[in-house]
Amino acid sequence: MFNKNTVAAGVAAFASVALAAGCAVADGNKADDVDITAMSAEELAEHLIFETGSWRDQEMQEGGGWRDRMTQDEIQKACSFDSTRNDLDGEVAGRVVALAREQYQAPEGDIELGDWRKGAELADSGYGYRIGHNVDDHGTREAGGNCYNCHVMDSSVSVQGTIGPNLENYGAQRGDSQEIRQYVHQVISNPHQYFPCTQMPRFQGLLTEEQISHIMAYLLDPESPVNNR
Amino acid sequence: MFKKALLALPVAMAVGVAGTAAQAEWQDPNDVLQKLLEAQPDSKYLHQSEMNIMMMPDNPALYLLDDGEELFYKERGPNNASLESCDFGKGEGVLEGAYVELPRYFEDTGKVMDFEMRLVHCMKEIQGFTSDDSAVSQRHGSGSDIMRLTTYIAHQSSGYAWNPPLDHPKEQAMRDAGEVLFFRRGGAMDFNCAACHGDSGKQIRASVLPEMRNSQEWTKAVSWPAHRAGQDNVRSQNHRIRGCIWQMRHAGILPDTPVNTALISYWNDAARGEPAILPDLKR
Repeated sequence: MFNKNTVAAGVAAFASVALAAGCAVADGNKADDVDITAMSAEELAEHLIFETGSWRDQEMQEGGGWRDRMTQDEIQKACSFDSTRNDLDGEVAGRVVALAREQYQAPEGDIELGDWRKGAELADSGYGYRIGHNVDDHGTREAGGNCYNCHVMDSSVSVQGTIGPNLENYGAQRGDSQEIRQYVHQVISNPHQYFPCTQMPRFQGLLTEEQISHIMAYLLDPESPVNNR
Repeated sequence: MFKKALLALPVAMAVGVAGTAAQAEWQDPNDVLQKLLEAQPDSKYLHQSEMNIMMMPDNPALYLLDDGEELFYKERGPNNASLESCDFGKGEGVLEGAYVELPRYFEDTGKVMDFEMRLVHCMKEIQGFTSDDSAVSQRHGSGSDIMRLTTYIAHQSSGYAWNPPLDHPKEQAMRDAGEVLFFRRGGAMDFNCAACHGDSGKQIRASVLPEMRNSQEWTKAVSWPAHRAGQDNVRSQNHRIRGCIWQMRHAGILPDTPVNTALISYWNDAARGEPAILPDLKR
């Protein structure tokens, strides 16, 4: 607890320093000292992100600073194509699946389900990892799964998102075998293993294994309201 | 008048197939919205809030217009000057149609500037405000000078088609970088803008999302300033960007920075040819 408060205070201090620093950059109002027309669009985008003082100097919840948060990993790079005009390239898809399998850490032994009630709360929580003008403090409130933003899971609770597939009766239709649990754990942890360049986040690392086990219970436990729709 | 009609004709022909006649002359924001609704009867995004559509003639954003006009013409700041000599790209003090032709390259600063960046530039250079003055530092909320001025100035372009210039190489470069940024996956949760705006009729929770490739949904999407009913405040394009990037779990974006400008360059280009709703009313 002491540790977390220290981090929170640090974040707050960072934020106020960043505000002052940000204004100084804005005040400078200097013309670009580089020729932006000599760059490709991709180069200019990276230049704008990393070299123009566009971000607050804050410590991210996962550690590191804005530069770490904004630096792309290989999967993010591979998936940054115009999905409204181009289909996913087969070679890229294969590479992304391989990268995702490499990143994924399988649990040891059998996978146990957690508490579906806790899973329901996590699925409904959009808290966590937001930074900038309003910082999510993981020291006072745990990060959630954001599931309801994109998936209908229990339409009796609230209006839910449609960016991802409807998951009502997910477990009722598939059962609750170890194979199914392994698959669901893989998809929640790193969905690119099955759906390369999906819009869904990789939750391994964002949520704890315990939190993931609760969300899995919400999806798979026969008692869960998700499976009694 | 005759000249305006001539100008309007080719524009209307160009987008006529889509059903809304974008004009090179002012239209009431509610009239613009009604035409878009008629043109796209099946758009879940455009039709999502019957309440907001009904409220449009009494849009609370309209109450900012008088204050904004007063602020624009009043002699203010350490230099005791009005904003009448501010050039938003169509000449000093020319506001009609200026908002929909931003961002653009400005000779005097040597860079591409979006609307808010330009307004702040003028308040500092002409009126002498500094970043510490609340007139400049307070960017958000209906009570801020910036939002009152933004609403008044943008309103002078209502009904004009979005038409950000791309003649200068820097304008084209910023627009193209904005496109890359729009599709750039990143942050703690791997999101890009297209995660929410690349498909038609999708929802985040209860909010129906605008699709970037549907220019008639997109003109409403980028038509800020707008009164946000859920926040009971008038908001700007820059406020929308800050909110999206916050939800996307990228880093915290700062005002007056070129990442904003590049994104807005791409946004406004994607709405090109469609009439702007200024001010709009959103959920």
